[in-house]
Amino acid sequence: MLVTKYVITSSESNILPSDIAMKIYGSKYEVLVKETCFGVVINGEEEVINALVKEIRALDPAGIFIKDRGFPPGDPRRCRGRRGGGARPGFYMIESESKMLPLISRALAFQGDIPDIPEKKKPLPIKRLEEIIKNGLS
Amino acid sequence: MIRIAQLSCGSEYSGIQKEIERAAETVGAKIIYPEVSLEDILNVEKTFGVSVSSGDLNLAMARAVRIVQNPDLADAVIVMTCFRCAEAAIIRSEIRKYIHEHSKIPVLSYSFTERTTAETLLTRMEALVTTVKYRGLLAREKQKGLTAGIDSGSTTTKAVVMRDNVVIGTGWVPTNEVLKSAEDALQAALKMAGVAKEDIAATGVTGYGRFLVGKHINARLIQEEITVNSKGAVFLADAQKGTATVIDIGGMDNKAISVQDGIPGGFTMGGICAGASGRFLELTAKRLGVDITELGKLALKGDYRNVAMNSYCIVFGTQSLVNSLALGCKPEDVAMAACHSVAEQVFEQQLQEVEVKEPVIMVGGTSLIEGLPKAMEELLHVLVTVPKNAQYIGAVGAALLVSGLLED
Amino acid sequence: MAKVIVYPPTSMILSDLVERMGHKALVVPEAVRRLVTASGIESPPLNMTPEEPKKGLRYAAVDVPSGVRGRMSLIGPIIEEAEAAIIVEDPGWLTGCAGCSRTNELVRLLIRTKGVPVLDLSYPTNDAEAKVFVSKIRTFLEGLK
Repeated sequence: MLVTKYVITSSESNILPSDIAMKIYGSKYEVLVKETCFGVVINGEEEVINALVKEIRALDPAGIFIKDRGFPPGDPRRCRGRRGGGARPGFYMIESESKMLPLISRALAFQGDIPDIPEKKKPLPIKRLEEIIKNGLS
Repeated sequence: MIRIAQLSCGSEYSGIQKEIERAAETVGAKIIYPEVSLEDILNVEKTFGVSVSSGDLNLAMARAVRIVQNPDLADAVIVMTCFRCAEAAIIRSEIRKYIHEHSKIPVLSYSFTERTTAETLLTRMEALVTTVKYRGLLAREKQKGLTAGIDSGSTTTKAVVMRDNVVIGTGWVPTNEVLKSAEDALQAALKMAGVAKEDIAATGVTGYGRFLVGKHINARLIQEEITVNSKGAVFLADAQKGTATVIDIGGMDNKAISVQDGIPGGFTMGGICAGASGRFLELTAKRLGVDITELGKLALKGDYRNVAMNSYCIVFGTQSLVNSLALGCKPEDVAMAACHSVAEQVFEQQLQEVEVKEPVIMVGGTSLIEGLPKAMEELLHVLVTVPKNAQYIGAVGAALLVSGLLED
Repeated sequence: MAKVIVYPPTSMILSDLVERMGHKALVVPEAVRRLVTASGIESPPLNMTPEEPKKGLRYAAVDVPSGVRGRMSLIGPIIEEAEAAIIVEDPGWLTGCAGCSRTNELVRLLIRTKGVPVLDLSYPTNDAEAKVFVSKIRTFLEGLK
């Protein structure tokens, strides 16, 4: 079955979408490649894509991310050029998560001890609030 | 090409996006989606006034803000969300109001189910496109020359002949065979006007049977009822300038139109329930053993509070009326209860979706059932105007509009 | 290898982490792919027809909006397949397939009441949180058979 995947690079990765595209062009794999502003879209037979994904990940194991996509690249049913403009709704989710990728990349590459996260701030105890109010009013 | 901006939630997942696009295409329009950024979506609380938990509704609001900021982006707007979604119903209504208040772009609001088809959307979409395309024609205030208008409705067919801004002939027949009824109504109007068919410079057609009748008589104008009726209403009520609200309770569907300077700004068209139609009143008249023309006068003497109605439904609501008669309720109270029931349904289900601004003009055959405008007055707390010839509204609007085409 | 459903069901980060750690991520785009590559249907953009909301009746009654039922026809079968789940707290910017909050609530409920292991998280906002986020996912996935 033909499958489509996004290959998205963290903004801090040294690998550019064009590097990935070049690697695929120069490879033995018969896949369709489309460069986008945040990465590349690849389309091909499932086994081929899975093998390719492994090789692409190796370029920057912590800085490259893969996401499944329902539509083949440039599908006129989803292409904004053909469908009256406006990004498809799901695009905003990719954009939101892309902004988080540097955090995830650094965390994936990190090998030390996992830090303790201070607990989220709790509301002020009512007693303390009472004191503040009394002091403020006096 | 007319660009209709679609602000919606759920249409793709309801499987009806294709139907929306098909309806737009049929009326020569294209659906577009205004470009917004992620920041625009995240900022809707500040720009629009609220953000909700459903992201696609926030996206719709962000797109509305963008249209108001750049009115050149779209010629018309449709706001569509899933039927039975409370979150969406609130936002849909607020988006419609927001665009209505902050721009001059006409808006159509609709709640769909998976059963919504292009055909359901067609008349609404046609009206939306007409208000954009023929703004000049719709701004026309006077009828000139000798023209005719035919309103081929689901229950009755109406025709008028107009000469230099005056209605000089009218015809009214029940709709049996669409073409024959149109011919009969027109003949009656011609006879009353004392003119020959050949002397009519142009004819305009509206109503359910408009395409069939229009083609048959080679009409110069074939137009949906929303734009035609609002034009006819403001003409007859002498309210061509400023705001107006037109309410038309028909045999098969109801229309509520918010009008500005004779041009529809927003409208709703409902037609799911027979209990909110003229049919319900017809049935009540039959049960009371009075002619439909007498029902209104009878209702004026009654008080709906004396009758317990448990349902708006044409079956169960009528049952309530029959039961009340058996319990000794007065026929006039029952007549008013029926009028109140219909008015209340239109008030609850449709008038919440348009801006009700005075004057409120009731038109169509049902407006002559005096109890109905009175019930509406009580619900809206405003005076309701029923202009002379209100039952010929569509035919008058068509005759008026078609005279505008003669000059072009 | 376990089949792991992620929430939001269109999350790139979660599905990537599940797959790179050797498990199968169950995601909505696969369901969308089945629709858009089906021949004989021409109903852009998603090739969804009024039949999909009807299939959604398996998960929600007819008085539930059609958009919820249509989305459930995509997500419901994935939930049925799931052997484990990772749920991230709603970040407030879910759109598209995850753009309806009512659907999302039903999805989370059906995952949680299914009885499979569930890992609850929030999206990280700094490096320390990201390290914990990745580490928790790693530990959770390693614990799955």
